[in-house]
Amino acid sequence: MERAVPQAVPLGQVEVFQALQRLHMTIFSQSVSPCGKFLAAGNNYGQIAIFSLSAALSSEAKEESKKPVVTFQAHDGPVYSMVSTDRQLLSAGDGEVKSWLWVEILKKGCKELWRRQPPYRTSLEVPEINALLLVPKENSLILAGGDCQLHTMDLETGAFTRALRGHTDYIHCLALRERSPEVLSGGEDGAVRLWDLRTAKEVQTIEVYKHEECSRPHNGRWIGCLATDSDWMVCGGGPALTLWHLRSSTPTTIFPMRAPQKHVTFYQDLILSAGQGRCVNQWQLSGELKAQVPGSSPGLLSLSLNQQPAAPECKVLTAAGNSCRVDVFTNLGYRAFSLSF
Amino acid sequence: MSSESSKKRKPKVIRSDGAPAEGKRNRSDTEQEGKYYSEEAEVDLRDPGRDYELYKYTCQELQRLMAEIQDLKSRGGKDVAVEIEDRKIQSCVHFMTLKKLNRLAHIRLKKGRDQTHEAKQKVDAYHLQLQNLLYEVMHLQKEITKCLEFKSKHEEIDLVSLEEFYKEAPPEISKAEITMGDPHQQTLARLDWELEQRKRLAEKYRECLSNKEKILKEIEVKKEYLSSLQPRLNSIMQASLPVQEYLFMPFDQAHKQYETARHLPPPLYVLFVQATAYGQACDKTLSVAIEGSVDEAKALFKPPEDSQDDESDSDAEEEQTTKRRRPTLGVQLDDKRKEMLKRHPLSVMLDLKCKDDSVLHLTFYYLMNLNIMTVKAKVTTATELITPISAGDLLSPDSVLSCLYPGDHGKKTPNPANQYQFDKVGILTLRDYVLDLGHPYLWVQKLGGLHFPKEQPQHTVIADHSLSASHMETTMKLLKTRVQSRLALHKQFASLEHGIVPVTSDCQYLFPAKVVSRLVKWVTIPHEDYMELHFTKDIVEAGLAGDTNLYYMALVERGTAKLQAAVVLNPGYSSIPPIFQLCLNWKGEKTNSNDDNIRAMESEVNVCYKELCGPQPSHQLLTNQLQRLCVLLDVYLETESHDDSVEGPKEFPQEKMCLRLFRGPSRMKPFKYNHPQGFFSHR
Repeated sequence: MERAVPQAVPLGQVEVFQALQRLHMTIFSQSVSPCGKFLAAGNNYGQIAIFSLSAALSSEAKEESKKPVVTFQAHDGPVYSMVSTDRQLLSAGDGEVKSWLWVEILKKGCKELWRRQPPYRTSLEVPEINALLLVPKENSLILAGGDCQLHTMDLETGAFTRALRGHTDYIHCLALRERSPEVLSGGEDGAVRLWDLRTAKEVQTIEVYKHEECSRPHNGRWIGCLATDSDWMVCGGGPALTLWHLRSSTPTTIFPMRAPQKHVTFYQDLILSAGQGRCVNQWQLSGELKAQVPGSSPGLLSLSLNQQPAAPECKVLTAAGNSCRVDVFTNLGYRAFSLSF
Repeated sequence: MSSESSKKRKPKVIRSDGAPAEGKRNRSDTEQEGKYYSEEAEVDLRDPGRDYELYKYTCQELQRLMAEIQDLKSRGGKDVAVEIEDRKIQSCVHFMTLKKLNRLAHIRLKKGRDQTHEAKQKVDAYHLQLQNLLYEVMHLQKEITKCLEFKSKHEEIDLVSLEEFYKEAPPEISKAEITMGDPHQQTLARLDWELEQRKRLAEKYRECLSNKEKILKEIEVKKEYLSSLQPRLNSIMQASLPVQEYLFMPFDQAHKQYETARHLPPPLYVLFVQATAYGQACDKTLSVAIEGSVDEAKALFKPPEDSQDDESDSDAEEEQTTKRRRPTLGVQLDDKRKEMLKRHPLSVMLDLKCKDDSVLHLTFYYLMNLNIMTVKAKVTTATELITPISAGDLLSPDSVLSCLYPGDHGKKTPNPANQYQFDKVGILTLRDYVLDLGHPYLWVQKLGGLHFPKEQPQHTVIADHSLSASHMETTMKLLKTRVQSRLALHKQFASLEHGIVPVTSDCQYLFPAKVVSRLVKWVTIPHEDYMELHFTKDIVEAGLAGDTNLYYMALVERGTAKLQAAVVLNPGYSSIPPIFQLCLNWKGEKTNSNDDNIRAMESEVNVCYKELCGPQPSHQLLTNQLQRLCVLLDVYLETESHDDSVEGPKEFPQEKMCLRLFRGPSRMKPFKYNHPQGFFSHR
């Protein structure tokens, strides 16, 4: 099949380098602004780009609308995780978390509001922060990553209140169980641990790889993604994507997905997951695959649903991963267009 | 009374007739004066007033008498007639008185008139005299004014000022005592002095003229002498040639070159001048020479009539001899093409010598009808090079200078006007003739001062020295870098083909001491094959795999793992890095689309290439990249997590020191090597 080959543009050294950088870019994290009109994306070079969803989704959208409104160097290392409060954007990567004001962020030369580093035990290497979680009731932030602990930081004072230890290998992901309130963490050691925030103790441990139905030894035992919906939890990674009933710690549904999943979330009555492989998978709770919608990146690392009430016209699903592009799905059935760094 | 009056009358008549006839009568007149009655004399005696009174009385009497007569006549009577007679006689007397009075009046009148006439004549004479005198006066006045206005020529002469005159003039001329008082004398003296001075100066002038003549003659003589010197000097120069060569001062040669340079077409001339200047000023390793036949160049400029005559003659001859055979259309077209692509007989040759004694020979040609310049390149090295198979294209004359500046591939003519010329003779593109004619790179045109602006096509593009000068230094430097990097690659390829990655000692620090993976194969692959590979799609889509690049395939092996690396080598190496795309065959096929770590390895080699550049001029980039690839493969294989379900030990035990095996959401392996501690960590 004849492929259309693009005309090789005369490229100087700078253009070639920029092209190579874009080819090898990975977008690790996304976050939607509180007004719902902007999307922040963080990549492996430590840059954060702010895209205007409202401009890209409007009827007069041109090619430039799919480019970032502003891009700035946020961290020295990759930006693995981002989360938004009602006024700030919190980004974390190589060992520290920085805060940016959403109203300031669109101006060039924006400086971070504050930056904090949780107290680490090791000093040889700065551990990365893989997951950020907001606990609105306490107005605190939970960080977890390379040093195998969960740290809680009070957003008012900036002080680190608790350090929850228990994981034997680094932590990939966090999820919040609103009711209790409990935090679930999944890590490289293959275990999903539940922590009670009030007592600061581990309440429950689920070692997923020990369950034969879902374990896949050739992929490893690591838990890459977690999502919880009161009594139910879905997790995936090395082992297969599984739906668990938390109280009984039993796997109820195994989703037949071969590729390891890196991100999973509950949406209405569906479960959306993405990981190795181009597609965003939509699952029924019964375990059936409802749809597989291909994106533009060869592998996906993060999904973001814009459910901000202030901008209902920007209600889209965005997916990003092993490329410089963020796919925008206006309707879960197909990929509408892609934003690009 | 009537007798008296008739008596009076008669003498008057006699006198008036008789007077002029005889002169004697005058005396007789005077004698007869006493006898005659002269009425004129009587006039003088009588008083006019009394005469007037007499006249009035007479008239009254006459009127009275007439009245009385009338009365008498009217009365009638006898004695009337006597009384009337009486009265008639009285009236006659009165009439006679009246007549006399009349005469007297007439005479008085005549006299008066005569007197007036005389007086008038006198007056007239005086008047005339007056006029004459007035005229004379006027005349004299005019003369006086003329005299007064008279400017003597001496006033036109600019005399020296008085002070000077008294200072300079000798006393016999200036005569101060006299002249001081008398301005006339003074002026005379001054004039004298002036005359003297002028005489003296005229003498001097004549002397000077004669001097000048003499000197002119001398100059003539000397000129002849000098012109006879020229041929002698020429012969001396000829004789000194061997000495020049012996002393390495080829003045004559340079002189000859400049002579030849005069016949160069303008762009080649600009190139020649600028290159010579640059060579002399900045770069002693550059040498410039002109090759080709000067006679042919001169022949190009033969006057058109001659050539037309020749043509017509030759045409006539041709027609006669080859009447039957006309050249076919194809041959005609071919001839036209050859004519269009004709080169100027002279060419400029530049030799760039590099540090390692290799030389880049550049020959520049000028295509006259197309107004572009082309270049042919050749690289010669000090020692004979054994070309490894994969290095075939590196130094080939066709491609060694390709893309010296980005995008300058030299396969298309830079002059937009040429397209119309090509259409006429059926040439599709210059690419087909490039091997023969040389490459028309854009930098070559710039060095010749030719600028073809894209936006506004110009009618005639003329060679511009400043354009050439501004590009000379950069281009020469780029050329040298290009040759040296190609030669370095040449050497490296020879080693790579034998499976050895030649890492120089100053780059050893980038890699750990022990590298187990080995380079097994290094071959060149054609462009189409590269495009067909399944793991190179990203590079092709990004527009980085054009047909001006060189493509290679490397194979790195360790144990059962085979890593294929497809390499894109840009002609602008080493400022533009080579681009690697990997495909690992070990427990399945892993490429950047299904394995994040392969992607990370590519990133280590492609994006982080600046660390691998090594010391300037960074010729070690490719070999360092290959070595790093081997190290990365080692790390990848050794840090692969053990699959618990499979029995048996790990194929590759971990020997590398790593702080952590996995990091981040993508579970990256530690690919970064830290020197000098020697452990691996994550970026």
